[in-house]
Amino acid sequence: MAFANSDGPATGELAGLRAVKLLIAGGFGVGKTTMVGAVSEIAPLRTEERLSDIGASVDDLTGVEGKTTTTVALDFGRITINPQVVLYLFGTPGQDRFWFMWKELSVGALGAVVLADTRRLEDCFGSVDFFESRGIPFVVGVNCFDGADVYDEDEVRAALDIGDHVPVRLCDVRDRDSAKLVLVSLLEHAMRVALTTGGHAGA
Amino acid sequence: MTRDDGERWFEEDPGPLVRPFAVTRGRAGAHLQDLDIITLVVAVRPAADAATLDREYGEILRMCQRRPLSVAEIAANLDLLVAAVKVLISDLIDSGHLIFRSPPPPADGRPDLKLLQAVLDGVRKL
Ligand SMILES: Nc1nc2c(ncn2[C@@H]2O[C@H](COP(=O)(O)OP(=O)(O)OP(=O)(O)O)[C@@H](O)[C@H]2O)c(=O)[nH]1
Ligand SMILES: [Mg+2]
Repeated sequence: MAFANSDGPATGELAGLRAVKLLIAGGFGVGKTTMVGAVSEIAPLRTEERLSDIGASVDDLTGVEGKTTTTVALDFGRITINPQVVLYLFGTPGQDRFWFMWKELSVGALGAVVLADTRRLEDCFGSVDFFESRGIPFVVGVNCFDGADVYDEDEVRAALDIGDHVPVRLCDVRDRDSAKLVLVSLLEHAMRVALTTGGHAGA
Repeated sequence: MTRDDGERWFEEDPGPLVRPFAVTRGRAGAHLQDLDIITLVVAVRPAADAATLDREYGEILRMCQRRPLSVAEIAANLDLLVAAVKVLISDLIDSGHLIFRSPPPPADGRPDLKLLQAVLDGVRKL
C-alpha cells in the first residue's frame, strides 16, 4: 500500500478505501460496453491508453509529442460495493494486438468475464487462453443475440475446450439482472479457486 | 467553493492531447511508478487553490474535492490519456495537493478471501 503526505483532512477516508477490478473481455461488438453499462452505477466512461506508454518509464514519456502512436479505448464502470470497497469493471477488445494492455490491466484483477457470441466463438479463444495461462479466474458469458443459434452451456464449454470447473453462463448483457448473475458466478468461481489454492484472510 | 465551480471542468475544452506533456516535461514525479489505473486520489487542499494552478492541475484538484476518484475516472473526465493524467497526478501528489492509495501488490498471487466475499456480497445486492 502506498501513501503520500499522510496528513490532511481526507486521509482517514482514503486509508480505509480499497479499489478492485474485474475485466470484461471478448471480440469486437460482443457486448462488453453494454455489460459494463448494465451493472455500473455511472454511465460507462471511456479512456484511452497509448500503445507506447504501457510500462513506459518517465524517460519514455518525455518528448513523445511527435511520435505516431496507437491508442486503445478502454470502457469502464464503477460499483460501490460498500463504504470501504469500490469495484471497477474494465471492458476492452480481446484481439491479440491488445494483449499488451491486458497484461497491465490483469495484474491484481479479481477475475474476468469472457463474452462470447456463438456465431463467432473463435473470437474469444485468445481471451480464454490469456486468462487460463495467467491463472486468472474467469467465466464465459454467452451473449445470446437475436437470431443466433442457441447452444447449451456444455456445448459451448466443449467448443472452447475449457474445463468443467469453468462456469459458462448464457446471458443477455443488456439486462441488468442477467449481467449481474454472470458477475455473481464469476465471483463465486473466484472464491472456489481461492479456497483451493489457499487464499489468505486479508487485512 | 460552489458545486458549479466543481463541475465547470466538464464544459471546458480540454485542449490538445500534447499539452500535459508540455506542461510536465522534464519533471519526474516521485510517485509516478506507484500509480495504477485504479489508484484512488483525493484532494487535501481546498478547491480555491485551483486558481493558483495550471488548468489541468486545477481541474483535477476540483474534481477530487468531494470524494476519491480513480486515475481512470480522472482521465475519462479530462479526456486525456491515462499515461498523461498519471504524470499530472504525480505532480499534484509531490506538491501536496493530493494524496493517493494504490492497490496493494497481490500477496504472492494469493487472493484475499475477505475482500472477494465482500465484493460477492455487494454484487449480489445490486
Ligand atoms: N440482441 C442483442 N444485442 C446486444 C446484446 N448485447 C449487446 N447488443 C448490441 O450489440 C451491439 C454491440 O454491443 P457493445 O456493448 O457496444 O459491444 P462491445 O463488445 O463493447 O463492442 P466493441 O467495443 O466495439 O468491441 C450494441 O448495439 C448492443 O446494443 C444482446 O445480448 N442481444
Ligand atoms: Mg465497447
